[in-house]
Amino acid sequence: MGHGHHHHDHDHSSGAAVDVPPALDLSVPDGELSPSDVSRRGFLRSAGLLGAGAAASVLATPSAAAAAGLPHSHGPAGGGTAKGGFRWLAGDHHIHTQHSSDGQYRVIDQAGHGRAFGLDWVVITDHGSNAHAKIGVDKVNPDILTTREELPDLLTFQGLEWNIPAAEHATVFVHPGRNEVAVLKQFEQTFDGSQLPATNTEAQNEALAIAGIKFLGEQVKRRKVDGALFLANHPARRGIDSPHEIRNWRDADPTVAIGMEGAPGHQAAGIPAPNGRGGARGLYDNNPSAASYSGYPLETYRTWGGFDWMTATVGGLWDSLLSEGQAWWVTVNSDSHVNYLDQSERGPGSDFEANGRYNDPVYTGKVNTTAGDFWPGFYGRTNVGATSFSYKAVMDGLRAGRVWVDHGRLIKNLDARVRVAGDRRAATGTPLGGVLHVKRGTATELTLEIDLQNVPNWAQFIPVLSRVDVIVGSVTGPVSARDTFTAPNTKVVKSYEVSPGTRTLSVTYQLGRLDKPFYLRLRGTDGKRTQPGLMGAAVDPAGPKLDVIGDADPWADLWFYTNPIWVLPK
Amino acid sequence: MIHPSAAAATQAAAAPGLLSGPALAGPALAGPALAGPALAGAAPALGLAGLAGLPVHGVSLEHPDTVAAEHWLASLSPAPVLACTHLVRSPRPHVALSLVFADTAPELGAESPDALTKLGAESPEAVAEHVARRSGRAVRYPGVDLLVGTLRVADVLALSAIEQVEVLGGGEADPQALVDTGDFVRPQWRAGRLTLTTTPAVGGRLVPFETRNPTPCCAAH
Repeated sequence: MGHGHHHHDHDHSSGAAVDVPPALDLSVPDGELSPSDVSRRGFLRSAGLLGAGAAASVLATPSAAAAAGLPHSHGPAGGGTAKGGFRWLAGDHHIHTQHSSDGQYRVIDQAGHGRAFGLDWVVITDHGSNAHAKIGVDKVNPDILTTREELPDLLTFQGLEWNIPAAEHATVFVHPGRNEVAVLKQFEQTFDGSQLPATNTEAQNEALAIAGIKFLGEQVKRRKVDGALFLANHPARRGIDSPHEIRNWRDADPTVAIGMEGAPGHQAAGIPAPNGRGGARGLYDNNPSAASYSGYPLETYRTWGGFDWMTATVGGLWDSLLSEGQAWWVTVNSDSHVNYLDQSERGPGSDFEANGRYNDPVYTGKVNTTAGDFWPGFYGRTNVGATSFSYKAVMDGLRAGRVWVDHGRLIKNLDARVRVAGDRRAATGTPLGGVLHVKRGTATELTLEIDLQNVPNWAQFIPVLSRVDVIVGSVTGPVSARDTFTAPNTKVVKSYEVSPGTRTLSVTYQLGRLDKPFYLRLRGTDGKRTQPGLMGAAVDPAGPKLDVIGDADPWADLWFYTNPIWVLPK
Repeated sequence: MIHPSAAAATQAAAAPGLLSGPALAGPALAGPALAGPALAGAAPALGLAGLAGLPVHGVSLEHPDTVAAEHWLASLSPAPVLACTHLVRSPRPHVALSLVFADTAPELGAESPDALTKLGAESPEAVAEHVARRSGRAVRYPGVDLLVGTLRVADVLALSAIEQVEVLGGGEADPQALVDTGDFVRPQWRAGRLTLTTTPAVGGRLVPFETRNPTPCCAAH
């Protein structure tokens, strides 16, 4: 779209302040638009894609992408050049240590295992609390600095797990730098749910959540830190992240609030007793509470093939955001607190409230079969397409949505791009998270290349991919009802069975001539546990199956998910 | 807030002959809980029909959660024959209750001559949801004390006021499927029917969707 690869001198302000293209900027009258913008506006208007909110979505790209610090995330070349143009860095943004009241490990215990199990980046996210806000947030930092020195091949971010006012938890983390502690500390002391009056109303708390996200964006804008990100954790676990809150977080600052956990941690919690905890996979065993959004069905509260209902449901909440054009990404993490089969326990003689941390863990000689967590990197991965091995590149890749996730190392590598049909140049193609703008009537296609797994995972077997699904949804623009959580036009449009013994799955899927704007995303499975999707077999004939309480072997039910790619008219 | 109960006669009295299944050694029902017509046999099939026409009280004591609400409920004497919790999100999240008593509401203490004042603030929302059978989670209902141990789905339907049993994401439960009740069965009003949602569990059994002790928010796990 003639946009090229120049660098935008962008600012990080959010929402309506984003540099909106004239066709989308309704303050520019039709008469002042160029003929091509008039045509574009007419198309968008007839497609229902103009109006409040559109400016904060991919519909406003390239500006929204630019505002997100993504000079390369759009246009025909998309997020980069070739497959080799990205370095896929595996990570985990949800890890607890002895600075959490329910944790026990040192920073380097977690980071060292994460590195050994193949991670390139980790985020230390201890719970927001009185003890953490006053003591722990300071005390953890020297341990993180030491870990960065000891493990130079691992990027170790400092973050925290925010008690979002009126809602669930979220990972919040910043780019390393001299203000990283100060910014996190001020954020926690001002905005953590544990620090707020119990007399606050729901509306007051929801407003504070928005203010907290905006505060983080401000710190970046003022150059206090080089980046700050927010990702909602275990979003459906207790049904208290309502659809409108999720939309509000994102709109508060789409350069900060970028997504949610597609699958929760605690994936060992469903391993049958007596060898395991015998609980619910992901520890998703809750029921609606007074804080829950009343519109959510009971299906919300459980995991499906290990994934959170918001992500696992084709045509569900995640798709409703994507079909609005909202850039909202999914990740996979360990949420490690105490790990399955570990042989240590919390340090004796600890005084967490006074010290802001537990004493160092001690070896017990006993095997913990009731813990529900895996070490970071042992089971789930968030794979980020980065332009270099650096903190900034990981944050930029996450913000760009160049992310795919898997459990149990189901696949080895994935390269998915949408192209103008027939264009096979190595340097072209819009990658995950990107937006391809083409003229109406232009034929586009998906090119997908998956390197199937050929090395064992950490359960010592080589996973076998059985099927890959292409999921497509129309982009219908901003919703008027902010609590919408369905996308009736999204469904599985194509499934590829993978022949045994295949080494590389290479397919091209014709997306047709562009008529209406749409997005696509991909999903794959080992095929061991499936059932028709919650929106019906016509939408998702073989979706993830409800996990069985007390009998959910995480290694016998593996899935991968990618983030979406949009195709929009110029 | 008082409203005629909508516990209409939708539940035909199920045949009491289904009780050959395992572990039906529930405690004998206390008298006042059996507002329905007494049936022959040791395990009467109870519907909601017998409660039709009884007033529905809606109360709110701003209980923070269902555990607190149930704790308060257990202190009521006489106990209600039908009691549901209702989740209210604003202005602050709390749990309200709707209550149906077999006779009159309990004597509600000396400190207040007004029954409803003692019960707490009125909750017309709870009454409306109960009456319309739109939402609400039944804690006390006819037959609840018989739902202990492991029961067939058919037994659950025959023994109690529960009108349907479903499997989450999977439709109606097989009548012969076994439910590990955990001695804790909390059906919900849904589309006019008192519905118990279950999920598959270890050993090919079903378990009620709601467990007695779900994982707390920040458990030391």
